[in-house]
Amino acid sequence: MLKYAFRRILGMIPMLLLTSIVIFTLAKLMPGDSLSGEIDPRNTNPEYIAEMREKLGYNDPLPQQYFRWISGFVEGDFGKSTRFKIDVSEVIGERLPNTILLGFSSILITYILAFIMGSYAGRKPYTLTDNLIGGLNYIGLAIPSFIAGVFAIFFFSFTLGWFPSNGSVDIGVTEGTLEWWLSRFHHVFLPAVVLGLLSTASYTQFLRNDIIENSRKDYVRTARAKGTPERKIYNVHILRNSIIPLITFLGFDIVAIISGAIITETIFTYPGLGQLFLQSVGTRDYPVLLTLTMLFSFLTLIGNLIADVLYGVVDPRIRLD
Amino acid sequence: MEIATQNEKNVLVTPPKKSLSPFAIARKKFVKNKLAIISLLFLLIVTIISILAPYITTADITRINIGQMSLEPSGKHWLGTDKSGRDVFTRLLYGGRISLLVGISCTLFVIFLGTLIGSISGYFGGAVDSLLMRFTDFILNFPFLVFVIVLNAILFGKVNGLWVLIGTISLLSWGGIARIVRSKILAEKENEYITAAISIGCSPAKVIIKHLLPNILSTIIVQATITFATMIVAETGLSFLGFGVPQEIPSWGNMLNSANEPDVLQFKLWIWVPPALIITITILSINFIGEGLKDAFNPKSKR
Repeated sequence: MLKYAFRRILGMIPMLLLTSIVIFTLAKLMPGDSLSGEIDPRNTNPEYIAEMREKLGYNDPLPQQYFRWISGFVEGDFGKSTRFKIDVSEVIGERLPNTILLGFSSILITYILAFIMGSYAGRKPYTLTDNLIGGLNYIGLAIPSFIAGVFAIFFFSFTLGWFPSNGSVDIGVTEGTLEWWLSRFHHVFLPAVVLGLLSTASYTQFLRNDIIENSRKDYVRTARAKGTPERKIYNVHILRNSIIPLITFLGFDIVAIISGAIITETIFTYPGLGQLFLQSVGTRDYPVLLTLTMLFSFLTLIGNLIADVLYGVVDPRIRLD
Repeated sequence: MEIATQNEKNVLVTPPKKSLSPFAIARKKFVKNKLAIISLLFLLIVTIISILAPYITTADITRINIGQMSLEPSGKHWLGTDKSGRDVFTRLLYGGRISLLVGISCTLFVIFLGTLIGSISGYFGGAVDSLLMRFTDFILNFPFLVFVIVLNAILFGKVNGLWVLIGTISLLSWGGIARIVRSKILAEKENEYITAAISIGCSPAKVIIKHLLPNILSTIIVQATITFATMIVAETGLSFLGFGVPQEIPSWGNMLNSANEPDVLQFKLWIWVPPALIITITILSINFIGEGLKDAFNPKSKR
């Protein structure tokens, strides 16, 4: 198992290099460079711009520029943001905790909701509640997250006033206090639910079907014959077997959160990496854009890798060699 | 010998009852699925109304009319007007044209690319297979939304906006279909009729098109339905973010874009609720059709 995981991690390196070449080429293909966005050509000496371009190495051959960028990247030097005029790592570092909080809350809420709904529906299949949960799931799977987000803001923020509709924390709260943390959780709850909608639906569906399938197996019949209380059969015997396969979803969750974050953070104007990404496209802040695209691609690779490896852990029969 | 002739006689006496083809069975099952049929009817009606939009309404969708900004629904404007004074109902019809056009074109491209690469990879195997599948993995490992946005930003203004979007979405989404088609082809090509077809000298192209693809067509059709729904979500989502269809072209996503303004979201429901609802219902109905088709093509399901 370890050997397989190790080999997969090694196999990731050429993939990452190829991805970085693609990303770099794409960034170079984008119209304009960081200078054309920042300096008004009417009142700046064109010679000065040309000199700056030369100095920043924009006139060097592309492979040379690529190697300069990638070697800096590996050493943790991501360049300077042309918009914020500070290091990219600082810009990203500022937003990263917000996105991590959003991602974690989303996974946590997904787990809790799916666990409650899935285990209940699995225990009492084909009842009214099960059908209701099934219907909710179907809507959760079909409704796009941006529509769910818009409706969530309308109902829970504007009509009911339960949750704030934007930002990540109330203004004027001292950082680090309990009040500050509560305010952050208050802000992150709604986006996290919307972000986890799709996975909640699939987790619930999977858990329900797996519990139903397991309840027909021989070991359950044996437990019943021994006189084990029905509650114990479901809570201990079946649940243990049904929950393990769920961990394989974790890898896909990471992938889903990346694209989900771009949409959800924009709707809720939540200052995270997804919002930063869209802003950097809009303002042609290439150093930030490049770093974020690399980061997202890297996380997607990791997510897919985790999914594959966990499949092997859960079911040794499908271990790939 | 005797038995054989007797059998022959029996066959002659009772004319063989022609059993239904797999597609006829599927059709029968599908027709019985009420939810799927209702969804299909809904989708057809939406499509027809959208196509006939220029004949149904005469209002100009592009003209900005400052005198009629943000009017509430009334007899004259069934669903009111948006912030630029354009009739929401008319825009909904024209938006349907664009959203469905993008959805269908993307689906066709994705299915074409996915089937092409999947079937070549599955049929030839060996080095071709590993090369193509590594490439597919490579594409699948791109975060979809991120790359569509970046590609759109590059190509924007160079080619007609709509086709940029269709091209970029399609180029990044065929991976899943290719994998599914490949695995189906791998299983199907082990059959003896394929060996027979090869032994009588059929070219690979003929074997794939004439013999293999018809046998995995049901899978491709089901995948196409699911892809169609995904593509509509992709278009509307990107337009909602402002990176999809160019702003001046009405599409369902572009109409929903105005919900980004708190004022519209809170007080001008008629501007954003209709596109939101129609997107949701369309996607739901496509999903129901997909489920119905999956069920109909599944020989194990009894209905």
